[in-house]
Amino acid sequence: MDLSLLTWGDGGWGDEMVLGALMTLAVAVCSYALGIVIGSGFAAMKLSHLAPLRWLADLYTTVIRGIPELLIIYLVFFGGGAVLRTVAKGLFGYGDYVDLPIFVTGMVCIGLSAGAYATEVIRGAVLAVPRGQIEAARAVGMRKGLRFRRILVPQVARYALPGLGNVWQLTLKETSLISVIGLVEIMRQAAVGAGSTKEPFTFYITAFVLYLGLASISNRGFLRAEGWANRGVRSA
Amino acid sequence: MSETTIPALVAADIYKRFGALEVLKGVSVAAHEGDVISMIGSSGSGKSTFLRCINFLETPDQGTITLGGEEIRIKTDRLGRSMGADQDQIDRLRTQLGMVFQSFNLWSHMTVAENVMEGPVHVLKRAKNEVRDETMALLEKVGIAEKHDAYPAQLSGGQQQRVAIARALCMRPQVLLFDEPTSALDPELVGEVLTVMRDLAAEGRTMIVVTHEMGFAREISNHTIFLHEGRIEEEGPPAELFSAPKSERCRQFLASTL
Repeated sequence: MDLSLLTWGDGGWGDEMVLGALMTLAVAVCSYALGIVIGSGFAAMKLSHLAPLRWLADLYTTVIRGIPELLIIYLVFFGGGAVLRTVAKGLFGYGDYVDLPIFVTGMVCIGLSAGAYATEVIRGAVLAVPRGQIEAARAVGMRKGLRFRRILVPQVARYALPGLGNVWQLTLKETSLISVIGLVEIMRQAAVGAGSTKEPFTFYITAFVLYLGLASISNRGFLRAEGWANRGVRSA
Repeated sequence: MSETTIPALVAADIYKRFGALEVLKGVSVAAHEGDVISMIGSSGSGKSTFLRCINFLETPDQGTITLGGEEIRIKTDRLGRSMGADQDQIDRLRTQLGMVFQSFNLWSHMTVAENVMEGPVHVLKRAKNEVRDETMALLEKVGIAEKHDAYPAQLSGGQQQRVAIARALCMRPQVLLFDEPTSALDPELVGEVLTVMRDLAAEGRTMIVVTHEMGFAREISNHTIFLHEGRIEEEGPPAELFSAPKSERCRQFLASTL
């Protein structure tokens, strides 16, 4: 292992690796946010009394959870690229190679995957909210929107946070898969560094430290959020 | 009961079925200002369902609810289900009917004071400062002011139910509905809740109380209704109904609860 490879500036890879870590963080946060939005939507569909909506949501979670994330990335990247080319050719007669923006593609793929897991977490959390508390809200004359905002969401957050913390950890790790389509995040940067210096271990151990750092810092954040959401419950 | 004034609340000829089970078969109750009406009967007699029909937690299939002279309109949708014709009207009705549940149903993510303030501040849009003062006064009244910063999970069942009563009172309701308020409590905690309810009755609050506490019903109410299989089997002043029930079923029921 040669730590001098990791110095800052032109001679070393330290700054590149840190930039890679920032890219990992950026794409993870964006994918996760997308996943929560998707998950909330599909959870609502799963809890709908309209059967077609439930089937659609079941189909989504079954398919996405059933296939490897890497396959999702390839399918979206190459499939989406082909679609875009066809459209571009039809519209502008421009038939050359069209690339999908890799950040957005990666974010959509990982977001779709995170969304499938978040769907189940959020659905379970909604079901965990005691019905009587919703009823008490109706009984004081709260409208649907107010009940949702004041009573349902804070409690869903309480029940969902531990599960959503897991989804975050998964999301963070899954972003490494986006390296296959060329996004320069931790994994990609480590591979590049390893290839050009012939010191793979130095770079992969650096990647290890970076991932672990991101995971443990964010984990602490989630624990704090859980403590806040559980105010009045565990301290009893 | 004074028969000359307009009743505070009238539930007339209420029918309700759940699937094949007809739970209420034409129940009517009129509560005048200051009335305390107790509803007794075995489980499954429909008394809780009736109470829940009054504030539309269940929608009556037939019948009318009139609060302070205003009739709540019911419509039937395409599938033949009945529902409130005007959700705004129902929400308004609910703000005027304080409901106390068997299982308290306090919002567990809010403190005691927040539970009491929630409705007045967010539904009635009253000024927070004013509501806070009233909240503290009500918590004082139900004997739990020192716990205003506690969360429901930190309280005993009796304390939670007293908070729930304060929560209902803070809406300044015209009528209070109690759905078996002591049935989920340990025996030693029943007394503290009944004491609070006794005070409310003595203040002249209009109350409808579904209960299994026969002694309490007899003591505080001025009218008692015995429900059997979705119908009013017998009703009258508690002194008469409890000591000399006319119907055989009421006699048997009272004998079984002793």
